[in-house]
Amino acid sequence: MATLTRQDLNFGQVVADILCEFLEVAIHLILYVRDVYPSGIFQKRKKYNVPVQMSCHPDLNQYIQDTLHCVKPLIEKNEAEKVVVVIMDKEHHPVERFVFEISQPPLLSINSETLLSHVEQLLRAMILKISVCDAVLDNNPPGCTFTVLVHTREAATKNMEKVQVIKDFPWIVADEQEVHMEEAKLIPLKTMTSDILKMQLYVEEKTQKT
Amino acid sequence: MSRDGWRKKASEDDGWGGRGGYMAAKISKLDEQFQKDAPREKQKEGTSSCIFSGVAIYVNGYTDPCADELRRMMMLHGGQFHLYYTRSRTTHIIATNLPNSKIQELKGEKVVRPEWITDSIKAGRQLSYVQYQLYAKQQSLNFTSICAQGKPDLSFKPSPSHPQPSHTQTLSKEVLKSTASFTERTNHQLDVRLNGSCSIVFEEDAERPRVNGIHDGDDDDTCALLPRGSQDPLLTNGYVHPVNGALKPLLFAEHSPHVVDTGSHQSHLPQTESRDREEPSCSSAGSKSNSHQRSSISIASPAKQPGLHNMQKDLHPKPTSNPGTSGAPQKGNLHDQTRVRLNGSYHTTPSSSNLAVISSNHPGRSGQGAEAGIISEFFSHSRLHHISTWRNEFSEYVSALQSRRRAAGGAVFSGKEKLKKLKANCSSGSLMAAPQVRQSCILHVDMDCFFVSVGIRHRPDLIGKPVAVTSNRGPGRIPQRPGANPQLEFQYYQSKQKQYRKEKTDCDLEMTPSPPCDEVPSNGVDLDLAALSMAEIASCSYEARQAGVRNGMFFGRAKQLCPDLQSVSYDFQAYKSVALCMYETLASYTHNIEALSCDEALIDATNLLVELGVTPDDLARAIREDIKEKTGCSASVGMGSNILLARMATRKAKPNGQYFLRSEEVDDFIRDQPVSSLPGVGRSMSSKLTSLGVSTCGDLQQLSISRLQREFGPRTGQTLFRFCRGLDDRPVRSEKERKSVSAEMNYNIRFTQVEEAESFLTNLSMEVQKRLEGAGLRGRRITLKVMVRKPGAPVEPAKYGGHGICDNFARSVLLAQPTDSGQLIAAEVIKLFHAMKLDVKEMRGVGLQVQQLEGSHTDPSGQGPSRGRSIKDLLLAKQPTHSPTKEPPAPQDGLTSPSSSRAFSSIWERVTPPSSPPSTSSDPMPGTSKGGLHQLHTPNHVRTCLNISIEVPSPSQVDQSVLEALPVDIRRQVEQSWRHREEQPSTSSHLSTPPRTSSSPPPGPSLGTLVLQLPDQPGQPCTTGIILELPDFSQVDPDVFAALPRELQEELCSAYRNKRNAQALVQAQSSAVEQKHTFPQLKQPAVGKLKRRYKKRNASPAKKGLSPLKKLFPGNSPAKSSPSKTLPLPLKTENVQCPSSTSTDVPETLSKFNPRPVPTLAGAYEFSDIRTLLREWVTSISEPMEEDILQVVKYCTELVEDKDLEKLYLVIKYMKRLMQQSSESVWSMAFDFILDNVQVVVQQTYGSTLKIT
Repeated sequence: MATLTRQDLNFGQVVADILCEFLEVAIHLILYVRDVYPSGIFQKRKKYNVPVQMSCHPDLNQYIQDTLHCVKPLIEKNEAEKVVVVIMDKEHHPVERFVFEISQPPLLSINSETLLSHVEQLLRAMILKISVCDAVLDNNPPGCTFTVLVHTREAATKNMEKVQVIKDFPWIVADEQEVHMEEAKLIPLKTMTSDILKMQLYVEEKTQKT
Repeated sequence: MSRDGWRKKASEDDGWGGRGGYMAAKISKLDEQFQKDAPREKQKEGTSSCIFSGVAIYVNGYTDPCADELRRMMMLHGGQFHLYYTRSRTTHIIATNLPNSKIQELKGEKVVRPEWITDSIKAGRQLSYVQYQLYAKQQSLNFTSICAQGKPDLSFKPSPSHPQPSHTQTLSKEVLKSTASFTERTNHQLDVRLNGSCSIVFEEDAERPRVNGIHDGDDDDTCALLPRGSQDPLLTNGYVHPVNGALKPLLFAEHSPHVVDTGSHQSHLPQTESRDREEPSCSSAGSKSNSHQRSSISIASPAKQPGLHNMQKDLHPKPTSNPGTSGAPQKGNLHDQTRVRLNGSYHTTPSSSNLAVISSNHPGRSGQGAEAGIISEFFSHSRLHHISTWRNEFSEYVSALQSRRRAAGGAVFSGKEKLKKLKANCSSGSLMAAPQVRQSCILHVDMDCFFVSVGIRHRPDLIGKPVAVTSNRGPGRIPQRPGANPQLEFQYYQSKQKQYRKEKTDCDLEMTPSPPCDEVPSNGVDLDLAALSMAEIASCSYEARQAGVRNGMFFGRAKQLCPDLQSVSYDFQAYKSVALCMYETLASYTHNIEALSCDEALIDATNLLVELGVTPDDLARAIREDIKEKTGCSASVGMGSNILLARMATRKAKPNGQYFLRSEEVDDFIRDQPVSSLPGVGRSMSSKLTSLGVSTCGDLQQLSISRLQREFGPRTGQTLFRFCRGLDDRPVRSEKERKSVSAEMNYNIRFTQVEEAESFLTNLSMEVQKRLEGAGLRGRRITLKVMVRKPGAPVEPAKYGGHGICDNFARSVLLAQPTDSGQLIAAEVIKLFHAMKLDVKEMRGVGLQVQQLEGSHTDPSGQGPSRGRSIKDLLLAKQPTHSPTKEPPAPQDGLTSPSSSRAFSSIWERVTPPSSPPSTSSDPMPGTSKGGLHQLHTPNHVRTCLNISIEVPSPSQVDQSVLEALPVDIRRQVEQSWRHREEQPSTSSHLSTPPRTSSSPPPGPSLGTLVLQLPDQPGQPCTTGIILELPDFSQVDPDVFAALPRELQEELCSAYRNKRNAQALVQAQSSAVEQKHTFPQLKQPAVGKLKRRYKKRNASPAKKGLSPLKKLFPGNSPAKSSPSKTLPLPLKTENVQCPSSTSTDVPETLSKFNPRPVPTLAGAYEFSDIRTLLREWVTSISEPMEEDILQVVKYCTELVEDKDLEKLYLVIKYMKRLMQQSSESVWSMAFDFILDNVQVVVQQTYGSTLKIT
C-alpha cells in the first residue's frame, strides 16, 4: 500500500484527470437527460462499461472540453469545491442545478490494485444515477440553456483571474441570478466515497419551473 | 310581665352573650307571642303584606322608628322580630348606631338602618339591604354598597336626618363643584362618578405631589383622586381597568406630605405621624373611624394579613363618622407603601417580595409587567383567569369526591335518596313506574346567566330588570386618553366582522348562537362611542338581552342600547360559593359529573335513571329545585342521549327550564339548529360554512363526509358530519386530561427594555411552573406567543392597558425532557424570544404554553385529574430507595439547584395569600395546601426523577474530589455499590430494577446498572461532568480531541496513561463492557441523556459517542454494536491503528490529520445495517423514545455534515416508509419531527430543503 500526499504532483493530476473525464461524461449525459438539446445531436457511447449519451455537436463539445480544461487546474490543487451544471430557462433563471460536490481526503492512501476498478465502479454508479434522474425531476420548460459554475475554495479565484488556461476563455464571476435559486428542493442523487475522492451529486430543483 | 320588662332585660343582656335554658324558653315564648299578635295586628291595621317573609330582625339600641314600631311593621309585613339576637335565626340587625365594642364583635351580620324597613314598606317590596348597611365590614368582597344602584335619588339625597352618617355614599353637590373647580385649576381632567365615589383622572402628572392623595369631602364624602400619567409606574402596573373602577385609591411609597388645596382638604400626614395619631382619633372619631383604624393597621402590615377581606375593606375610602374628624388616619393608610387599585374586583398585595419590588420601582421606568409578583398578582386578579381555573378546581372536586367514595366504599347520595323516596311515594299512588328503558341519558346543567343571578341574589329589587355584570358602574362614559384611537379599533374589529366580544363569553354558553354584531355602530356613532366605557359585560340578564345587550359587549355601548341597564359588580366569592354549592348539589345525586365550567356541568344519568326508575324530566326537575333552593339561582337542564344533544337541549330549555330531547325528535330538532350551535364551530368555521352555503345543521347534513373532510381536514370533517346528525360519542369524563398548561397576559404589557421583557418572561415561566406543579404535570413543548402591535395601529389602544390591534406570533421549542421547572422554561423561552427579534416596545401581550404533557411522578398527594398514577409510577418513585447504589455522576450543581428552585417556588406559593379564594394555591381540597410544604421537604430526587440508568463506574474511574463533593447519601450509595460489585458481582443485578419506560419494558435484569434519578436540569452548568467510561483510545476522534480545551486534553491523556498502567482495571472494565453487551438495551436511556448532557457542557465531545457506549437501539444485536466491529473502510482501520502506538503525544500527531468520523447510528454504518436497525426500532416499539429520535436526528445531521446526502435521502425515505406505515400515529409524528430537524440542517448547509416525495 502506497501512501501519497497532495504534494505528490502526479497524484493530484491523476485525480483531476479522472474527475474531469467523469465530469465530461456527466455533463453530456445531463444535457441529454434533461432535454437541454434535442436528442438528435446525441450519440450513444460506452463509458465505464455503461451506455452513455454524448453530444456530437462540435461547438458544444468544445465548450464542454474547454470548460473542464479550465476546471482541471483547480481540481489538481484541490481548490474546487463544487462544479455545478446549471440549467436555465429562457429568462436565464436557473431551474435545475446539478451540483458535484467534491472533497478530496487530505490523506490519500492508494491501494493501487483496487483503486482503479473501485473508483470506476463508483463513477459508473453515479453515471447510472444521472441517466435515471429524470424519474425524480420535473420536466424542464422548453428552450433551456446551461452553464457550468465552479465554486472554489478560499482565494482560488484570484489565481483564476490571473491565469487563463485557455486564451479568451476566462472565468467570470457568476451572476447572483444564476447561482441563486429560490424555493429550491434538494434531491440527492449519489454519493461516492473512495480513497482518492469523495464526491456527491445532488440536484437542486426549482419548485415551480414554469 | 310588661313589655318594658322585656326591653329592660334585653338591654342588660345585649344579645351577644350566651344564654341558658331559661333564655331559650323565653325566646320561644316570645316568638309564640309574636306569632299570636301578628294576625291581630294585621286585622287592626287592615293592610298587610309579606314583603319581609324570611326576614328576622333584631333591634339594637335607639332607632327611629322605635323598636316597637318596627316590631309592628314586621308583624304586618310578614317578618319576624327577635327581642334577642340569635345568630342562626336573626337575619338583620337594625340599628342606627352601635357602640364600639359591638362593632368589634360584628362578624358577618347585616347591620341595617331602620330606613330599610320603612322604605321597603313604602316601596311595597323588599329593597336591597345593601344600601342601608351601616358598616363596612359587611361589605366583604362586594362593592355594591357604595354604588347607588337602582335608586340614585335615594342615595344622592343627603341624609341629614341621621345624626350618624350613613354608609350610603351621599355626595353633596358642593363637593362635586369644589373638586371640579380644583381640577380645572390644575388643568386636569375630572371624571366624576355619580355613584358616590368620585375619581379624578389626571392625564398629566406634572403636579402630582400637590394633588395626589385623597381629598376629603366637606362633611362625609370621600373622593378618590386618581393621578394617572404615563410616567407613573404605579398605575401602569395595575391590571385593572382604571377607567371603570369605582374607586381607585392609590398608595404611594413616597411619604412627602402632599397638600391638597381645596377648601377643607387637609394636608397629608406622613405615615408615621398618622400611625401615632391612630389611637387618639380612635376614641374621638367614634365607632366608624375606629373600624377604619384597625383596618389601616392591618394594611400597614400586609405581610401579616394579606387577606383579601381586610385589604378591600380597608382600602375603601369610607366616610368618617363625625364630620369633624380628620381624614388623617385614612391618608396615612393610603400613604403606605402598599399600592392597591380596586376595580370592582379585588386586589391583594400578597407578598413581601412584591413590596420590595415596588419600593425599588422608580418613576420614569415603566415597570410594566416586568416585576416579580406582578404576574401572579395579575393572575390572582384576572377575572377570566379565575373562572378558567375554577373549572379545573371543580373537576378536581368531582374527582376528589369520586376517590373519596372509592375509599369509603360507597357514598350517600342524599339527593338521590330523596328522589327515591319521592318516587316511592308517587308510585305507591299511581303504581306506574317509568319505563325501564336503558338508554343513555346525559344531563347538561347550566345556571341561568350565572354572574347576574348570583349578583342579584340578595337584591330582590333588581329581579326582573336588565342587569349586567361589569366592573363599570358609572354612566358608561369615560374621558378619552390621548394616543388612543378607538374609532380605528372599532373599524378594525368591525372590518373583521366578527364578534370580538365573544371571546369573553366564557361562562354563558347559551350565548353562542347570538347573532353577529349587526348593530356595530356606524361612523356617526363612533365618535360618541369614543367616550364610552370599554368595560366588558361579563354576563347580563335575560331582560338585558332582550334589549340587545350581549355578553362581552362594552358597557358604554350596552348602556346606549338599554339606558336603564343596571350594573352589578363582580363578586367572586359569591360565584365561587354558589358554584360549589351547585356542584355539591349535583354530587348528591351522582358522581358521574363532568365539570365544564363554574356554572355548568354534565351528568351521566344513565345508571341513575335506571336505578331510580324515574324519567329524566323528574330527575331534572329535582335537580333544578334543589339548586334553586340551595343557591337561590335558577338553573336550566337539557337532556339528551349524548353530550351534544344535551347541550343543545339546554339552549331550548333556557331560561330556567328543562328540555328533554327525545331520540325520536332529534332529527327534526337538529335540522333547524344553526351550525354555530355545534361545539367546535367558531367564527372562522361558521364563516367558512356560510361560504359553502351552510347555515343550519340541516344544510350541513347535505354535505358528504368526503366533502367535509376535504374542507376541514379528516378529523374535523368527520366530527362535523357526526355532530350535525346529532351523533356524539364523547363520554362524560369526570377526569379530563389536560392538553396544555399556559399562562398568558395581554393586559398592560408595555416594555421599554429587553431586560424587562426577559424578566417578565422569567416571571411568567414561574407562573407556568406553578400551574404545572399545581396540575402535577410536566411538558415538553414550550410555545411562546407574543402579541405585537400591528403596524399602523394606534400606540395606545382604546381600552386602557389593553393590547389593541395586534399581530400574533408564536414560536415553540421541543425540550429533550418534559419539565416543570420555571427556570428551564424561562431559559428556553428567552431563547425563543430573542430568536423572534421583536421590538419590545411594540409588545402587547405575552403567553406561554406548555404542551405534550405528562404527569410528573412526583406529585406527592396524587390527587386531581390527569394524574394517572399507576403501579409503574409507584415503582419508579420507590426505586431510589430500593436500589443499593446511586450514581455519582450527578453533578452537585444539578442536584442542589433544583432543590433551591423548588424551595423558591413553594415559598412563592405560600406567599400568596391563602385567603384569596379563587387562586389556585388556595385549593379548598384538603391536602393540597400541604403540597407546597411537602414539596419543600421532599428530597429533590423524588421530586424530579428522570429514571436514568447509569452504570456506576469502577472506583478507579471516579474522581475522588467529585465523590467527596457529592451529597453524603449518594456517596454512600456509590461506595456501597462498589462493595457490592466486589463481593457479589452477579447478585447485585437482582437488586436493581431495570429501568422502565412507557414504551419499552426491557426484559431481564441488568448487570451493574443502577437507576439514578437525575434532576431534570440539563440547562444547569455542571462543573464536574459525568464520568463516562473512557472509550478505547482507538476510538477517540482526533480532531475532537484537538478541539478540546487544553486541560481536558491533559486530563484525558493522563486518564489513558492511568488506564494502561492499571491493567487490571482495564480488564475489569472490559469485562463490564462485555456484561453490558448481554443486555444492551439497558444502556439506552442513559446513553442518550449522558451524551446530551455532556454535549451541552463541552463544545463537541459528543463525538465520543463512537465508543461502545454509543449503542442505542433496543434489539440491537451485540455483534452490531460491538466495539471491535471493523468498518469496511481503510480510513477507519488506519484510525484505529494510529493512536494505539503513541500515548501522550497523540493529540499532536492526530490533530494533523483530519479524518472525518464516519457517521454511525448506534454503531451501524452500512445502509443495510441502518435499515435493519430502523426497521427493528419501528416495528418492535409502539412508541419511540425521545433519546432515540434525537439520536437519529443527530445521525442525519452528521450525514449532512459528512456530505453524504444520498444516504441521508435513503435513510429518510426509508424511515418515511416505515414510520408512516406504522399504525401508531406517534411514529408519523416522530418522522415529522426528524424530517423537520433534518430539513433545517440541510437548509442551513445547502440553502434548500430536501425534496421528500
